Amino acid sequence: MSLRRRTLLKVIVLGDSGVGKTSLMNQYVHKKFSQQYKATIGADFVTKELQIDDRLVTLQIWDTAGQERFQSLGVAFYRGADCCVLVYDVNVMRSFDTLDTWHEEFLKQANPPDPSTFPFILLGNKIDIDGGNSRVVSEKKAREWCAAKGNIPYFETSAKEDHNVDASFLSIARTAMANEHEQDM
Amino acid sequence: MDEEYDVIVLGTGLKECILSGLLSVDGLKVLHMDRNDYYGGESSSLTLNQLWKRFRGDENPPESLGSSKEYNVDMIPKFMMANGILVRALIHTNVTKYLNFKAVDGSFVYNKGKIYKVPATDVEALKSTLMGLFEKRRARKFFIYVQDYDENDPKSHEGLDLNQIPAKELIGKYGLEDDTIDFISHALALYTDDNYLEQPAMDFVKRIKLYAESLARFESGSPYIYPMYGLGELPQAFARLSAVYGGTYMLNKPECKVEFDDGGKAVGVTSDGETAKCKKVVCDPSYIPDKVKKVGKVARAICIMSHPIPDTNDSHSAQVILPQKQLDRKSDMYLFCCSYSHNVAPNGKFISFVTTEAETDDPESELKPGVSLLGPIDEVFYETYDRYVPTNDGEGDSCFISTSYDATTHFETTMKDVLAMYTKITGKELDLTVDLSAASAGGSAEE
Repeated sequence: MSLRRRTLLKVIVLGDSGVGKTSLMNQYVHKKFSQQYKATIGADFVTKELQIDDRLVTLQIWDTAGQERFQSLGVAFYRGADCCVLVYDVNVMRSFDTLDTWHEEFLKQANPPDPSTFPFILLGNKIDIDGGNSRVVSEKKAREWCAAKGNIPYFETSAKEDHNVDASFLSIARTAMANEHEQDM
Repeated sequence: MDEEYDVIVLGTGLKECILSGLLSVDGLKVLHMDRNDYYGGESSSLTLNQLWKRFRGDENPPESLGSSKEYNVDMIPKFMMANGILVRALIHTNVTKYLNFKAVDGSFVYNKGKIYKVPATDVEALKSTLMGLFEKRRARKFFIYVQDYDENDPKSHEGLDLNQIPAKELIGKYGLEDDTIDFISHALALYTDDNYLEQPAMDFVKRIKLYAESLARFESGSPYIYPMYGLGELPQAFARLSAVYGGTYMLNKPECKVEFDDGGKAVGVTSDGETAKCKKVVCDPSYIPDKVKKVGKVARAICIMSHPIPDTNDSHSAQVILPQKQLDRKSDMYLFCCSYSHNVAPNGKFISFVTTEAETDDPESELKPGVSLLGPIDEVFYETYDRYVPTNDGEGDSCFISTSYDATTHFETTMKDVLAMYTKITGKELDLTVDLSAASAGGSAEE
């Protein structure tokens, strides 16, 4: 295996409609946040270049383009993903409950060689809302879910206030790279 | 669902998805539904388990065939001409970014019981064993004329007005033999019958040029490219385009009944007891069965093999055209092969299709001339499906129905239907003048 100067990583972002998938991506790449909610229109994928240790990494982050709204994401969307980011809204129980479904759906559709080690990461978004008073999913509960799924890294984020967004995507890149490295060997 | 849309598209076959994408890009509000829980309708690609379920019911596929998920068996197998209309549409819409393509290894033609590489240039004509010594020279001269022909340069016309003289007169000028005419018209110009002979020669010459230019494009053994993971990727890529531009997607919607007003105009679609309103409906023939008629049927054999098609130079992907006259038939027969090199089967496995416009009710004996060229076969499935064309014009009832996919193994006829439908729906022509160099495809080795 020759040393590659540049690594392209495909990251897909999954979770219920309205949890802030597109907002997280926009905040991370464009440093922008829009209060107004529109079911995703116009979002495709964004790319961001990162330097991690001695490697130049291009993250290609794929939005669902709204096709998750009626469970209509096709298998092509999942192809070649290096990492899957699951997002839920800490203020909406249902968006946490459906994580199991998204996790399963990803493994079923993407069909990675070793499902037990495939890199996932979980983001609990919208922690800013109402100063945290309206949250219904505790951090403890989320961390338990992550532990049960094979120690998935967990971050609590606010796309609106740009809290933990950079840190979580950096972790995503590292997780995806570590997995790629293992596959190379 | 209780909103009003400009267009509701029913069925997620390739034609419907391309149209949905184009219409969304135009700014129209599109709702796209399918009764199935997967994309592609008739033009999907199936896993091994799905294939078995369709043809063998409850039986399980043998383990020797490998993992079900590694199979992507096209239900409508076709290759894309590298400079053809579909590639232009992909570049025009920038859908290329969702897909990876790889060149197809070989393009062949069947002649007097044997398989030959299709010669498409003057140099290849001289090397080909398909023609005798003198015929090679005549073919070479003909190819040079076609290569040099430039619509805007009268000197290259050699005194012939191709918009006036029929193709047979041009062919006559070069004194080509029947077998040569056969392979040029069916394997190069991709005509499905011989009506072109009486038509102005311009179209004939343009088709040959398209083939030769596509062949030169990726320097592989054929003018064709094909997506990694099979054609089922194409409808999904155009569906994503539509979604990115605001199209709403709903799979797994039962019934999808088109509603009409008193004047017979489509005004909406009902599914699950809810009706979405719309101005126009675009769909495949299965969604409005009383506005289509059967015009023929396609017979096909789907074969799983452990080797390439014999005599195709070990091509891991190939097309072989069997012109109708060679088989004493009224329609051409097509062999299409792709394999693990395009990620449509596990390592070492090949998928071959034999298709033709059916002339009998017995696909097995009808397809025998094609199937017998394949060598040993691990598994084979025979099937016929009916072809439909719409009987309405779309103007009066606001329903725009696509025609069924034909037996050809390339997209030229498919795309003509899409472009004609687009014009009917929007009242304008789609400008596909694009920079073809914007697309790339991996050669024999993947990047």
